[in-house]
Amino acid sequence: MQKIYTIIARIGNPVTAFILHLSGILRLLLAALINLPYSFLRPQLIVKEIYYSGVKSILIIVVSGWFVGMVLGLQGYNTLQRFGSVSMLGSVVALTLLRELGPVLTAILYAARAGSGITAEIGLMKATEQLEAMSVMAVSPIKRVIVPKFIGGIIAVPLLAALFNTAGIWGGYFVGVVLFKLDHGAFWSQMQDSVSLHYDVINGIIKSSIFGITVTLIAVYQGFIAKPTAEGVSNATTRTVVSSALSVLALDFILTALMF
Amino acid sequence: MQEYSVLMNNVSFGYDLNRKIVNNISLKIPKGKIVAIMGGSGCGKTTLLRLISGQIKPDCGSIQLFDQELNNISNKNMLSLRKRIGMLFQFGALFTDMTVFDNVAFTLQEHTNLNADLINTIVAMKLHAVGLFGTQNLMPQELSGGMARRVALARSIALDPELMMYDEPFTGLDPISLNVSATLIQKLNKSLNQTVILVTHDIESTFKIADYIYFMSKDGIIAEGTVDEIKNSTNAMISQFIAGNIQGLYNFEYPTTLNYHEYLGLI
Repeated sequence: MQKIYTIIARIGNPVTAFILHLSGILRLLLAALINLPYSFLRPQLIVKEIYYSGVKSILIIVVSGWFVGMVLGLQGYNTLQRFGSVSMLGSVVALTLLRELGPVLTAILYAARAGSGITAEIGLMKATEQLEAMSVMAVSPIKRVIVPKFIGGIIAVPLLAALFNTAGIWGGYFVGVVLFKLDHGAFWSQMQDSVSLHYDVINGIIKSSIFGITVTLIAVYQGFIAKPTAEGVSNATTRTVVSSALSVLALDFILTALMF
Repeated sequence: MQEYSVLMNNVSFGYDLNRKIVNNISLKIPKGKIVAIMGGSGCGKTTLLRLISGQIKPDCGSIQLFDQELNNISNKNMLSLRKRIGMLFQFGALFTDMTVFDNVAFTLQEHTNLNADLINTIVAMKLHAVGLFGTQNLMPQELSGGMARRVALARSIALDPELMMYDEPFTGLDPISLNVSATLIQKLNKSLNQTVILVTHDIESTFKIADYIYFMSKDGIIAEGTVDEIKNSTNAMISQFIAGNIQGLYNFEYPTTLNYHEYLGLI
């Protein structure tokens, strides 16, 4: 009997922990939404967050996008060559990036570059009593710290995804047109023919906006619940990257099933 | 009739059920007075300040802040009460992503509609009061520990609060800074009729500026009185604490069932 209890507890503990975390994240989302108007009275806080989370991530996003585009160019060229349709390379690169790789990889890179930073910052603010000091000064940390980071993330991620896609397409162009001497006009015209603004571009933007909300929420939540110790903050940053990556991949599957 | 800024009645609090941090405390903080709360490390003095500022709720007992019961207060009322209090944290708690100026100006920018010039003037005055005028553009990490605590002091008094709570304001300060801080606390108390709750171990400074002293231990308030009453107290624990004796009723060592000599295999 004791063995059965142990097995049930082993299954139950992570499930209840997951439900508790999910409810915590949803409560944080609700609090952030309620306090949204405050942030619009302090736009400089949002601009600061966009700078730290978004602008400072541009380099990693553009470089990664460029390499991903080049890999797509190489793989696409090899595969399409077998069917004699290398002229479709522009479409393959663009559609893969706009629909899937752009939003997904940008969100994962954002989680690693900016999300972990957000968690560490909030966790350290907690450890050094800065959040407590803010509360005692009658300033809500949700309003002053969480909401600007939340809005900053929502704005930054789709813009970074756009940059990732642009760099990726140029990476594909470099491999296809510059290295493999494909026709320059065919590359762009095939892309223009097959990419739909509504179906591909807008859906990609919706995806990356949802990923932006998810990653930023996870990052601020993990910072908020981090144990106020060096080890606690370190664990929280790790959890941010792992949870964000898994959530983004799972959400991508659901969104792709619904959208395309 | 004596008015009170804070009234605590039979307040107990613990972070878990088995360990009470604050045990059945009752105290009265009269308006406009400097009240010191003294006691050994870990007896719950900082937790007491957290209870008064509404950051944590007591397990039992009642706390009244400016005549409002904190047990069932709404968030909105709690926020408006907090605008009337200031708190100096034990380690300063300066915002590390802001300059000294932005730290001191923080509450002024958040809670007032003062123009930038006026805020600039007030910040300069507060920093001058703690002897740090000219540090406006420095970041907290560029300050020494003592300087950071003085900036935190300037920040906590920016709005001239009715009630100031100081958590170990004299720790880590050199004698001059300590004297400046003690004098400033007293000046603010006199000029603004500010109520002061002073949590400290510094006996000399406390005896110099306090109007009333509460002595806390893990079991609650063990003594209270004016400075003279405490100085002349016959309570063995108070005498031991003031004299700094290791031996006595005040248990310096952690309560444990282990025997040190036995543990090391010496007996």
